[in-house]
Amino acid sequence: MTGRYVGRRLLQVLPTVAGIVLVGFLLIHLAPGGPIIALAGDSGDEEYYAFMTAKFGLDRPLPEQLATYAGNVLRGDLGVSYIQGRPAIDVIAERLPATLLLAGTALVGSSVAGVALGAWAAARAHSIRDLAVTSAALVLYAAPVFWLGQLALLTLALRTGLFPVQGMTTAGGPETGLAWALDVARHLALPALVLASQEVAAVARLTRAGVLEELAADHVRTALAKGLSDRRVLVRHALRRALLPVVTVIGSRPGHLLAGTIVVEVVFGWPGLSRLLLTSVQTRDTPILLGIFLLVAATVVLANLVTDLVYGWLDPRIRYR
Amino acid sequence: MGRGWAGWLMLLAVLLAACTGSEPGTTESPTATRAPSPDATATATDTATTAAPTGEETPSPTQTAAGGGTLVVAISSDPGGLNPAITTSGGTHTASELLYNGLVDLGPDLEPIPELAESWDVEEEGALYRFHLRDDVTWHDGEPFTSADVKYSFEEVLLQLHSRTQASVGPSLESIETPDEQTVEFRFSQPYAPLLQQLNVTEAPIIPRHIYEGTDPLENPANNEPVGTGPFRFVSYTPDAEIVLERNPDYFEEGLPHLDEVIMRVIPDEGSQVLAFEAGEVGWLWGVPGPDQERLAADPTVEFLQTPVNPGGANCIMTVSFNLERPIMADLRVRQAIAHALNRDQFLERVLFGQGQVAAAPISSGIPWAHAEGLDMPANDPAEAERLLDEAGWQREGDGTRTAAGVEGVDDGTPLAFTFVHFPTFSAYGELLRAQLREVGMDVTLVPLEPPVFAEQVFTARDFDTNIISYCNATDPEIGVRRMYHSSNIGEVPFSNAAAYRNDEVDRLFDEAQRTIDLEQRGALYRQIQEIAVAELPYFWIVETVGTRAYRSSCSDFQPSGHFAKTASCEQ
Repeated sequence: MTGRYVGRRLLQVLPTVAGIVLVGFLLIHLAPGGPIIALAGDSGDEEYYAFMTAKFGLDRPLPEQLATYAGNVLRGDLGVSYIQGRPAIDVIAERLPATLLLAGTALVGSSVAGVALGAWAAARAHSIRDLAVTSAALVLYAAPVFWLGQLALLTLALRTGLFPVQGMTTAGGPETGLAWALDVARHLALPALVLASQEVAAVARLTRAGVLEELAADHVRTALAKGLSDRRVLVRHALRRALLPVVTVIGSRPGHLLAGTIVVEVVFGWPGLSRLLLTSVQTRDTPILLGIFLLVAATVVLANLVTDLVYGWLDPRIRYR
Repeated sequence: MGRGWAGWLMLLAVLLAACTGSEPGTTESPTATRAPSPDATATATDTATTAAPTGEETPSPTQTAAGGGTLVVAISSDPGGLNPAITTSGGTHTASELLYNGLVDLGPDLEPIPELAESWDVEEEGALYRFHLRDDVTWHDGEPFTSADVKYSFEEVLLQLHSRTQASVGPSLESIETPDEQTVEFRFSQPYAPLLQQLNVTEAPIIPRHIYEGTDPLENPANNEPVGTGPFRFVSYTPDAEIVLERNPDYFEEGLPHLDEVIMRVIPDEGSQVLAFEAGEVGWLWGVPGPDQERLAADPTVEFLQTPVNPGGANCIMTVSFNLERPIMADLRVRQAIAHALNRDQFLERVLFGQGQVAAAPISSGIPWAHAEGLDMPANDPAEAERLLDEAGWQREGDGTRTAAGVEGVDDGTPLAFTFVHFPTFSAYGELLRAQLREVGMDVTLVPLEPPVFAEQVFTARDFDTNIISYCNATDPEIGVRRMYHSSNIGEVPFSNAAAYRNDEVDRLFDEAQRTIDLEQRGALYRQIQEIAVAELPYFWIVETVGTRAYRSSCSDFQPSGHFAKTASCEQ
């Protein structure tokens, strides 16, 4: 049953992604400015502009450009970056691991920490520790990422010297093996922490509210009456049901995280996809931009699918056909 | 990435290990504390940091008898590619110029000095330039450098893809001949004066024909694994992260370079660049924001180098353009009033924190032979501004905005309100200008626009009243000044004649200057142009900006731009 459901949902991915690419294509081309200014800088004459415009095929009518692009995408060709002169797919692929590492670490870390903190706070509602968790979450949630990032840099990196300020690796540092992995992990710590902080806050508050509600429910009272331990009741009976809305929120997080990584990647000099996105917007590097749109659209659609499947596992009453 | 899956798996393992048994939410810190020691940062970075009195650093592994060491440089954008011949992008040029050479270099007063060409003759009153090339130059891959490389670089690459060289040298050039392997001749249809200022590594880097011939230079893989003749060789490039260059042991200039390694780190955020410098992760900053400069200056191990030369363009003047096609701005008295109302000293102090100088002439003081001295620039005089506006028919009641009463092309009662279009990064100029002009009864609306949008709105749609542009004069007025004033540059080409200024006499003088070889005579022609420009004010020149480089005092002998690290060395 679930297999057919997944197949159907995957089929729906195609029109969704196609629609997003179409809208993206039109938005980029309707926006003023073009890639040639980025190439020419503040110089060049009309001859140069005409030459480059023709070279990139930007002198063709928009429908023709769109048709060419769509045809190429169907053949798996995302085109060549205007600025870098390399296949867009290569440029995007080499940035992907860095962003996946950063966003993945933040997503996993924040989900685990958020759920744990939320449940921990709910177990003693209105106690000092609940108050501490709740207010800390509120502050973190409200704090802008760029500010948190700068603060972390100033205090944790520059003052204490515990963490590096910039980049994913040390300049001239190890290039392979365990030493490299450790080096990357050390560089990863601060950006992942900053990126995760807001997610932790959101997840913790939601979990706390859900668990509190469940703790008052009949099945929890029954479980307690059976003589189960407080801890077991909290985790197995209250938390599991309280997680439903939390999973929805976490499932919608990849999109949010990508937005957050733009700021974090710039502040911490993390060489990921979001910075590529930012520079490509600035230079109107359409092939790269559309490639990233494609990737992000597919990711969000897949994340939604996974969310729905996790639902079925958490709540046996939900069945997919 | 080249590290393969093994590395990523190990990283995953490290992360998992760090997670187990630790409090959720603090997963990162245990990993970090396991990393070697906090001083690990210092070992591999700029040798300059070893001057800091922590005393624990292990010696740099790259240290040699030559005492060169490693310099870590912060760059603010990913170059995208490392071929400076196909673009004028400042990011690419900053990252790649150390790898290449031009035919000539430019000395401190912009005089040409030998580089790939060891000598040259100028014949036929400047219509023929003959360059004698060095015979001891090899490409980084061992191939010999010859005149064919020069011919190829110009004909197939620079004159098509390097927008500045294409636009300035291109139209006048007739042919490039190579009588033998060590000789190149540039022939022009008429005498062409500025050529020697346009042949350095920024304006005309020479790339290897044996690698590029027969390919599309924009897509050649060598753009990411460059082969040049320059003082440093390419080692590796990790996009948006770092570029590693090493000393070219076969470099043709005796005893150069000194440094063993130059590592460029991409750090997009200006504030983070300064933090990384303070933390010792980088040892060279191309620019320091004004407020940070004061703080850094308190550190005795920090040195500064101020220069008008930047990789994106030299000798830049922040310039206000008036759209002469708009009725309000077409009136000279209004333009003069704006000039008198602006206090340019305040721009220097409040926007630039004193870095730079008030523009004394339309042409930058960085081109001394062309820069006119003693011009009658409008002085800061709000009373004179008010008088001019009254005279022009802009009446003022009370302290508010003036309104038109009998102004040509403007309905009576129209308020003296106009737009000021600027890059978001220049908003401080806009705010100060708005405040200063409000004093004399003008209502300015600021319109911040990102560069591509700015270019389209100002040069294609021409939808603006006034704007501000950082016009870079470069190394010769032919490159960066002509385009602002010559009427042939009114059109859709970005960052050309924004004012839409037309003056036949000015056009004629520019054309004559281009043909005049004698520098003194050329300077006199540019002086005439500047006198006319100051009298007619199609633009108003606010401040000459400079770049402030920062480095540690353990390093020395930097050059401001281009081959900035060629002569540098760092104490270990």
